Amino acid sequence: MSTSPLTEKHCAEDLPPSIGASVVVNGRYLPPPEDEDGKLWVRTSALVLKDAQTLYEMWRNVEAAPRWQEHIVNVVETGATTSRWSMKTSNEDDAKVISWESEVLADEPGVRIAWRSIGGESDNAGEVIFEEAPNGVGTVVTVLQEFRMGKLASTWETLVGRHPKQAVVENLRHFKALAETGEIPRTQLDPHGDRGVIGNFKRSSYGETVPTPTGGN
Amino acid sequence: MGLVEEVGPEVTNLKRGDRVVVPFTIACGNCIFCKKKYWAACDNTNPNAHLMEKAYGYSGAGLFGYSHMMGGYSGGQAQYVRVPFANVGPLKIENDLPDEKVLFLSDIFPTGYMAAENAQIQPGDTVAVWGCGPVGQFAIASAFMLGAARVIAIDRFQERLDLARSLGAITVDYSEEDVSVLTALKDLTGGVGPDSCIDAVGLEAHSNELQGIYDVVKTALFMETDRPSVLRQAIQAVRKGGTLSIPGVYGGLLDKVPFGAAFGKGITMKMARPTCTTTCSRCWSALRRVRSIPATSFLTTSPWNKPRRCTKSGVTKKRK
Ligand SMILES: NC(=O)c1ccc[n+]([C@@H]2O[C@H](COP(=O)([O-])OP(=O)(O)OC[C@H]3O[C@@H](n4cnc5c(N)ncnc54)[C@H](O)[C@@H]3O)[C@@H](O)[C@H]2O)c1
Ligand SMILES: [Zn+2]
Repeated sequence: MSTSPLTEKHCAEDLPPSIGASVVVNGRYLPPPEDEDGKLWVRTSALVLKDAQTLYEMWRNVEAAPRWQEHIVNVVETGATTSRWSMKTSNEDDAKVISWESEVLADEPGVRIAWRSIGGESDNAGEVIFEEAPNGVGTVVTVLQEFRMGKLASTWETLVGRHPKQAVVENLRHFKALAETGEIPRTQLDPHGDRGVIGNFKRSSYGETVPTPTGGN
Repeated sequence: MGLVEEVGPEVTNLKRGDRVVVPFTIACGNCIFCKKKYWAACDNTNPNAHLMEKAYGYSGAGLFGYSHMMGGYSGGQAQYVRVPFANVGPLKIENDLPDEKVLFLSDIFPTGYMAAENAQIQPGDTVAVWGCGPVGQFAIASAFMLGAARVIAIDRFQERLDLARSLGAITVDYSEEDVSVLTALKDLTGGVGPDSCIDAVGLEAHSNELQGIYDVVKTALFMETDRPSVLRQAIQAVRKGGTLSIPGVYGGLLDKVPFGAAFGKGITMKMARPTCTTTCSRCWSALRRVRSIPATSFLTTSPWNKPRRCTKSGVTKKRK
């Protein structure tokens, strides 16, 4: 093949024909699946400067999920691939707690984990994929999650001030902070003066009231 | 700036009693942006990142004493400040330079210095600086440090213009009758225009022209968030192919920005919060080298003498 300066790509990497969670399929970008029939989808990704295996292990350690997932109060392993999840449905101390059983469907160390709920008060399924970043610096973590929550979804949103889709985005953000820095910064406990009517309105409507997970025990 | 009062268990490079300056940008030190030394763009320190993501596309670092969109961290000017990631941000001052000189390393000196760096000053250049507040004063001093031959400072307050002149700048009082800033800058540059312009005023610019009323009305009606009269003027004033550096803060949506002029003259615009931690250390070395850094002149003393207890970790205590 004749080489022309116009076709020279001295830094180009081999393009992946496909990227996990159907972000790229046969070289084409695909948008996230659309919400339909009461099913909500959310796809989100973050670049985390840790190797895929470490991140996989952090994610797979389900009993530690309350450290970085919002509103999750407790997770107990009930078998090699099953666990029982409990979650608060509002920000109050005495909030109603719902729970469900979850099952790992696919478990490829350092590559991906897929799960789904198998009974209980939440109907959800998800997948997390760990892929080396394009230039080899860090790992791209992509989460694809699906919920069927019917009436619960909108009630939940008004109660906790956060749409369940946004909660997935926030959880990945907390996961990244915890993986990269060992903690999840928060300001909710800082003393502050009165924020006034507008400030208080913003505070609840923008989801600032959702307690930031502690990152530790 | 202040004294370390208490440290958290994992803080390794500070101890109680150390004298430190804490940059107002909070950086984790471990994310991709911190690794590239864009500390003000840290991925991990804004607990309200989702707010900024909606408005700006991506979230930047959390900031002390700023809005809730930037994390809602208290402090900055408080008696006690809880400093997250205390191994990363604080600059330890082991030197007898007085507090009055070192204090500004937390914010306005790096801001002014980075403004001058962003102005891409070549030796012998002429630089115009709008605003002679603390940021403007440091931009003037820094522009000289980085090679400017001439600095033109624009404001309307006499004591601020006096201070700018004492740093070596030519001053223009834009509020004087018959003064047109654009004409003044042409007159002072042989019709060429300043090589670099620095907007050290930002979104709360004052204007005694018609556009000033326009912006006041539009912002009052929430149809615009910022009053960009200095930005408009600086885009007009900068020479062809020149650089516009913007340390003055803009928050949201701006009206009637003469983008055609910016494009037509082929200007470069650079802006940012200072990447504090790094800029800070460059300023720190400059401080020790150069004597003409403005200092005590903007200080007002505060009446705190009964510090309250604070039990959180990584706390610094204000000296003043
Ligand atoms: N980039 C950063 O990280 C950073 C850090 C600190 C401050 N800032 C911003 O820098 C800006 C200046 O800060 P400051 O502390 O010096 O503020 P300041 O209010 O003390 O000074 C602003 C000066 O601008 C002058 N001014 C107003 N309208 C003008 C006009 N049309 N033409 C010329 N001058 C005009 C005012 O008279 C005043 O002296 C603010 O927007 C501030 O938020 C940015
Ligand atoms: Zn960071």
